[in-house]
Amino acid sequence: MYIVIAGAGRLGVMLAKRLKQDDHQVCLIEKREDICRILARETNDYLIIHGDATYMHILEDAKIDRAQVCVSATSSDEDNIIICNIAKEMFGVKRTVARVNDPKHIDFYKYMDVDNPVDSTAIIAQVVEEEASFNDVMSLLSMKKGRLSVVRVDIPQDSPVVDKRVGQIQLPSNCVLISIIRGPEIIIPSGMTEIKSGDEVIAAALIDQEKDLVRALIGKL
Amino acid sequence: MKYIIVIGCGRTGKTLATQLSVSENVVAIDKDLAAIEDLGDHFNGKKVCADALDITVLEQAGIKKADTLFLLTGNDNLNLVIGKVVKRLYNVGNVVLQVHDPDKKKTFQKEGLTIVSRNYLIAEVLKKCIS
Repeated sequence: MYIVIAGAGRLGVMLAKRLKQDDHQVCLIEKREDICRILARETNDYLIIHGDATYMHILEDAKIDRAQVCVSATSSDEDNIIICNIAKEMFGVKRTVARVNDPKHIDFYKYMDVDNPVDSTAIIAQVVEEEASFNDVMSLLSMKKGRLSVVRVDIPQDSPVVDKRVGQIQLPSNCVLISIIRGPEIIIPSGMTEIKSGDEVIAAALIDQEKDLVRALIGKL
Repeated sequence: MKYIIVIGCGRTGKTLATQLSVSENVVAIDKDLAAIEDLGDHFNGKKVCADALDITVLEQAGIKKADTLFLLTGNDNLNLVIGKVVKRLYNVGNVVLQVHDPDKKKTFQKEGLTIVSRNYLIAEVLKKCIS
């Protein structure tokens, strides 16, 4: 795949390296000349273009019309939004991904049709919350614009599913148990697997069914 | 009285906001406190010190009832992003923005935004001087 990345900060450079390792073709655009020189000296793995990616002729130099994906990882939200917007509307790039620097700006990413705005602050906050909190239920992942959600549920002693087999549990529709974590053990459940108190259950649900799923597993909300 | 929002209070924004505030209802927004303070006593309107790339800030400034929005932040991309989103979400009659890059001016003009470029205007005035 051919991928154009705008912004050679820590994120842009790491991403370029990783994508290269997965055998993708990568072009990195950076407006600071000194950074471009250092990168060009260090690596031959990907193309480096010196210029401001919010200008159309720079994106043309990067052959963005041939790119399947455009990633905008600069430290400026307005630049990221405009780059994705131009890539999509002027050059027909199918998929645009951008780094959101300030979570307050995320609405603008959405309204300007950036396919995948990645809000690193929110992601880190969630990881920290997960590490710090003792909630019975934790949302691990949300996909397809939040419609599909993967949750972790700690099974309490008084849960209605304790000592029941997976096959016996009445789960709401559109839900599936993915795995059961019991101490060091990770179990991929079958209908015969028994759920024990203290298990961590990882389950996927459509967002509308998430509450019903949690209710079925811990008996309350 | 027209309801007018001016985002970006540099030299152009300050002059425009101050002049309009004599006869119209003007809200001036800038994220730089010094620029807001610099509007001075001659400006007869509401001053907001905030980041305009934020829907809540725009709504608190009354974007829903605004007749005209001027985007004069000196950052082409910021002006374009706010302008496009406001045009899409709200029923603001005129969205006028300053863009320096002629390529971007050409591209985004098609979307119902009024784009003003300083260099273009000056060139037009200068051309008139030879006739």
